[in-house]
Amino acid sequence: MLLIPCPNCGERDEIEFDYGGRAIQYPALNNSMSDWHMVLHQRDNSTETIEEFWYHQSGCECWFKVTRNLNTHEFES
Amino acid sequence: MKYSGFSLLKNSFSGHKHWPNIAADIEPKSRYDIIIVGAGGHGLATAHYLAKNHQITDVLVIDSGWIGGGNTGRNTTIVRSDYLLNASFKLKDFALQLWQALSQELNFNLMYSPRGYIDLAHSDGELEHFLSRANAMRLGGANVEILSSQQVADRVPGIDVSDNARFPVCGALYQPDGGVVRHDAVAWGFARSASTAGVHILQNCPVTGFTAKDNHITGISTTRGNIECNKVLISAASASSKLASMVDIKLPMDLINVQAFVSEPVKPILDSVVNYNAGLAYISQTDKGELVMGGATDGYESLARRGSFSSIEDTLARATQMFPFISRLRLMRHWSGTADIPMDGNAIVGRSPVENLYLNCGWGYAGFKATPAVGWSMAELLATEQLPQLLQPFALDRFKSGALIDDAGIGPYPWLH
Amino acid sequence: MQIRRLKTGGCIDRSKPIYFSFNNRLLDGYEGDTLASALLANNVSLVARSIKYHRPRGIISAGLEEPCALVACADEHGMMIPNLKTTEARLNKGLTARSQNCWPFVELDIGALLQMGSALLAVGFYYKTFMWPKDWWHRVYEKFIRRAAGQGRVTYDADKRLYDKKYAHCDTLVIGSGPTGIEAALSAAESGVSVILIEQDCVIGGSVLWEKTSTDSLTTIKLKQYKNLRFMVNTLAFGQYDHGLILAVEQNKKNVESIFWRIRAKSIVFATGATEQPLVFPGNDRPGIMLAAAVRQYIYRYAVIPGKRAFLAIADQQERELTEKALQVAGVEIVGSLGEGDQITGTSGWHRLRKVHLLNKKSISCDLICVSNGWISNAQLSAQMGDKQTFATSLEQRPNPQQHTGSAKAFVDLQNDVTRDDLALAVREGYSHIELAKRYTTVGMGTDQGKTSWPNAIVELERLSAQDSSRVGLTTFRPPVSPVSFGALVGVETGQRMVPIRRTPFHNAFEKAGCVFQTTGDWLYSRYFRVGKESMNDAILREVSAVRTSVGCVDMSTLGKVDVKGRDALEFLSRVYCNNIDGIKPGRLRYVLMLREDGILYDDGTVAQLADNHFLVTLTSANAGQSWRWLNKLLQLPWPDLDVQLTPVSDHWASLAIAGPQSRNLLADLNPNFEIDKTSFPFASVKQGLLDDDTPCRVFTVSFSGELSYEINVPAGFADQLFKRVLDKGAAYDISPYGLETLDALRIEKGHISVGTEIDGRTTAADLGLGKMVSTRKAFIGSSLLQRPVLQQPDRMQLVGLIPADGSSTIPAAAHLTDAPWQVGKTQTPLGRLTATVHSPTLGHSIALALLERGPQRINQKLWAVSPVEDKSVEVLVVGNCFYDVEGSRLHE
Ligand SMILES: Cc1cc2nc3c(=O)[nH]c(=O)nc-3n(C[C@H](O)[C@H](O)[C@H](O)COP(=O)(O)OP(=O)(O)OC[C@H]3O[C@@H](n4cnc5c(N)ncnc54)[C@H](O)[C@@H]3O)c2cc1C
Ligand SMILES: [Zn+2]
Repeated sequence: MLLIPCPNCGERDEIEFDYGGRAIQYPALNNSMSDWHMVLHQRDNSTETIEEFWYHQSGCECWFKVTRNLNTHEFES
Repeated sequence: MKYSGFSLLKNSFSGHKHWPNIAADIEPKSRYDIIIVGAGGHGLATAHYLAKNHQITDVLVIDSGWIGGGNTGRNTTIVRSDYLLNASFKLKDFALQLWQALSQELNFNLMYSPRGYIDLAHSDGELEHFLSRANAMRLGGANVEILSSQQVADRVPGIDVSDNARFPVCGALYQPDGGVVRHDAVAWGFARSASTAGVHILQNCPVTGFTAKDNHITGISTTRGNIECNKVLISAASASSKLASMVDIKLPMDLINVQAFVSEPVKPILDSVVNYNAGLAYISQTDKGELVMGGATDGYESLARRGSFSSIEDTLARATQMFPFISRLRLMRHWSGTADIPMDGNAIVGRSPVENLYLNCGWGYAGFKATPAVGWSMAELLATEQLPQLLQPFALDRFKSGALIDDAGIGPYPWLH
Repeated sequence: MQIRRLKTGGCIDRSKPIYFSFNNRLLDGYEGDTLASALLANNVSLVARSIKYHRPRGIISAGLEEPCALVACADEHGMMIPNLKTTEARLNKGLTARSQNCWPFVELDIGALLQMGSALLAVGFYYKTFMWPKDWWHRVYEKFIRRAAGQGRVTYDADKRLYDKKYAHCDTLVIGSGPTGIEAALSAAESGVSVILIEQDCVIGGSVLWEKTSTDSLTTIKLKQYKNLRFMVNTLAFGQYDHGLILAVEQNKKNVESIFWRIRAKSIVFATGATEQPLVFPGNDRPGIMLAAAVRQYIYRYAVIPGKRAFLAIADQQERELTEKALQVAGVEIVGSLGEGDQITGTSGWHRLRKVHLLNKKSISCDLICVSNGWISNAQLSAQMGDKQTFATSLEQRPNPQQHTGSAKAFVDLQNDVTRDDLALAVREGYSHIELAKRYTTVGMGTDQGKTSWPNAIVELERLSAQDSSRVGLTTFRPPVSPVSFGALVGVETGQRMVPIRRTPFHNAFEKAGCVFQTTGDWLYSRYFRVGKESMNDAILREVSAVRTSVGCVDMSTLGKVDVKGRDALEFLSRVYCNNIDGIKPGRLRYVLMLREDGILYDDGTVAQLADNHFLVTLTSANAGQSWRWLNKLLQLPWPDLDVQLTPVSDHWASLAIAGPQSRNLLADLNPNFEIDKTSFPFASVKQGLLDDDTPCRVFTVSFSGELSYEINVPAGFADQLFKRVLDKGAAYDISPYGLETLDALRIEKGHISVGTEIDGRTTAADLGLGKMVSTRKAFIGSSLLQRPVLQQPDRMQLVGLIPADGSSTIPAAAHLTDAPWQVGKTQTPLGRLTATVHSPTLGHSIALALLERGPQRINQKLWAVSPVEDKSVEVLVVGNCFYDVEGSRLHE
């Protein structure tokens, strides 16, 4: 169970949060099909750390972005 | 040496000193016709069928670890074919047919145990969905039934189908041929068969890159040097993404941790595989006597093969709803695997944008059951260059075209699948 | 009779005798005993039978590492708990224990005959045989194998014991209360930080309890001095997880069976000690062969002598001296010691050790062999988080493990009956990597978690395969360190308590009105309202007829409701929904569709404009939570620049829809303080005001039933009052409350789509005949990827209606559409499938909705609706998806 750093509330237990997936750079709504395809579907899984979104569901309801190491699960700032 | 009761008896007189190595150590050649990256069930099955169905044995199966040490050796061994969408159903049903005769074909007891798969419905609406799935399966030639909650109770002693359960059981889908197969044996049986036919199996040797010219792979790089080849199949489950990125292919999948656990071994108490659907928990008993259980994924990306205990608690709570007696048992071991889950939750199998590079990945937490069918079809593709019909829906370009195979209807959010 | 109990000494309370039963024999022990020490005190040496060969087994150790002495013990309700280690079971009053895996008795076990065929049962034999006849594995062989395997037995009776869960937090967590742990805890406490010290044993002290080496007389008093130090005994830290989380189970509590602790610590001190390793020699499993440190523990801590004539097989000098001293204290005769260069070639005895045989042809009679093959650090907890070094180092630092040869079985894993020959065979067959050997031979996979088998197995494998340990590898340590009860991990989340039940504000009032509820997701939702003894079908007929001919009312409170305010509220909503909603006016509402980012239809609902820059949005019940998160995600992540405030108001409102031709009259009777005539309150509008001058309300003219309908929202606390008044005033119109079943029947008659059936995560808006609602004038979530070619193809599955071709047959539910009736043994590729079926109360015949390839182009074609499972085929006529009031005129009456 991760201890996730909410920017508002500080470190809280994972069960308070909801995962929001990779921190993608949302294309503009009217961007092309292939832009959206690349951003929404294609993943770079070659790195050890990723940027991702979490949602503090049972807390302040804030959506935020963090960087996490997928092997150690450590959050990096 | 053929395995049989007789050979076992014969060897017992000589102290079992003469059994051969199932996957003899080899010195890799400098060139192979086909290189398969990943000695999991899928890669090894492909090698077996290349040799058996197509007489192609100039093949290297290479693995960074040991045979079957990936998800093949970590899964909960359930085989079944009860999928709504035709593409999913067809491939897994073909696999189910292959499982039935595979022990004899490989001369290795895979312990295919068709003890019946029972998928519980917790509302009439859900039961209607199951009926729809069962009807589709029947039309496709599979044997499947719908059980009432009483029939579930008759078939599965110890299960709670009473009305006072939090999510009462309204009935179930029942696939009699579904069941379990001994996972390690699958890897070993395929390895032994392929190795005996002349296929090379190289363990403890990671593939670190590819050598390529234009849009064409000329070979692989490994920690033991470069090896040339005509064709490469990446069949490396969660590592496939990283391997594909070495030739600039970004695969549409996330890597999510998924867990399983076993109780201490006890005498036979559960004869079927049962799946709880209000939240997820599935349970069966191994031949060694452990109750093996699994549930939903941890729901976030990870490569650590180490999960959040909260999902085990969650699974256990559901398993205890099904079988209130299990709380008297104890957790003996829990473990994880990295599930490679594509954007529609279904696998990616077939050609890649690179001419002679083939892909088989994205099987997530559900690919064990498909192992022989994928091996069979992939071997056909590699040998004949013809894409077998069974594989056509699983093409990589479906995310771009929109031809999704989303059995759960969840969408491009792998952590929710 | 405790004939092996010393007269003095030990941490037992001789004034508190405890009677217990073992294999139906009444025995006694003292408070402070474990089951193991009490059995030894009673001179019981044969405790169990081994799993594979049914060999007699005794007690090897004094702790959680015990591989052999597993028994079943009854709980306070008389239910047997299997596989408990005698060394972990505390002796309490009335304890009933039984040997497992033997029949009829542990002394005379038929299964032991298996030993005669043991040459055949070489490791992995089951992979090599039982393949013919083809289906016999499952039908015949597997049944035998399964019965032979498995340790104890468990019954189906539900567990009646109570369990709980708790959290704890601290700066420093110290695991293990031996001298190292105590010191760490005290010095941390001294520095002022918060400290928790946990110990799996029932007392603090660890090895101090039996190694009389330490002069420091530790008392709990010292620990109690510190307010910032908390110590917990009987608490097993079983796993280490991310970010300083230790999970532990505390047992032997007063009112609950156990407590599952989640302890989050800033720093963790692992003071978990080490485990002595047994020796691998022929016949090393006979009852009477015991770890040297365990012998010392039984003598010092429990005042029990495990034997009378002891032979020592201990390489390390200090270890040997300590043991000799203990044996002398207890008056045990030392009959010999394994000399340098000597080897044990075998042992003899039946149920108990009688003799040890040595290489130099000497046989010594003895009833106890104290063995030690060095100590291995208990590094499981730290290894679980990836630190394998501690384990590796302690493996290397071990004094040279000894080799012994002989013809009898030499066990490496005493629980799973894995011998040195088994490992040799595994290596020969190519399973030499530790992970392969483990899986092939099952070494280390027992309930003892391989605590006494891994180190020896790794050494054996290295030797056998002549490889360095880097290729043999180390094993992965998986939690738990020792088995923990499922009950503890589930805690109180059993039965109805597993997931909180959600009830709508009308629940109590509905209950009184004869409502039959149904579990729908987390909700308990009204299914139908029973009058008298009528059946559900009769109730549905009555309810539907009320709505179609007069008026009915239904609970809409489970819908998600979001209040959207702000300068950019409309802009936000038009990005989120695919419809053109820019023309919306205050007081009006629109039916809207939400797509996923990939263009697939996700949710439907309404957007009502309450005022300038102020909207109320509804979300379907099933998606309410997820959609709320999704709206927030969009606003907070890609569009933080939008001036929009979202407020979740789902639970604030009780929502009751009145539907039917008389609904306007009924609404009038409720005495609203606003105009409700056709022109001032048309379909697709919203009004706010008061009912009867005392009930604040918002009323929406929306309809799921196809009838004139008003969805009345009142603050949740007014639910009872609203329902009562609606029923009172509605009595004049023969009002009927209705539930899910009728709601569904009505919506199918109207061909309205629903989440979970038609909106199934695969369909597009166009597939469901709603293509016109998808704006081509603007970009919105999903608009790009919706253009993907396959999503635009004309031959997709599309929504149609079906009626029986003969006008009267019942269309089977969940059927699929084919060209020909179903025939057993013939496979068919369906053209489509039914998503909803109902016997239409209004039309008097069966109707269905279906997704059909090129559906709209097949209108008026005949197809077969087949349900092979129910063996039904019914010819159906494809029609439009609306069966009732196609023009929608009733909405505007
Ligand atoms: C906990 C869990 C439970 C599951 N339960 C089920 C179930 O009940 N039923 C079911 O059908 N499926 C289940 N699955 C899914 C199933 O295990 C997998 O889909 C399937 O085993 C995949 O087989 P594979 O051969 O493709 O992959 P793997 O067995 O993972 O093989 C991939 C191989 O590639 C190797 N490799 C990786 N990188 C490299 C490299 N750079 N160079 C060389 N080799 C490399 C790996 O070492 C590995 O051996 C479960 C999965 C998990 C994790
Ligand atoms: Zn927060």
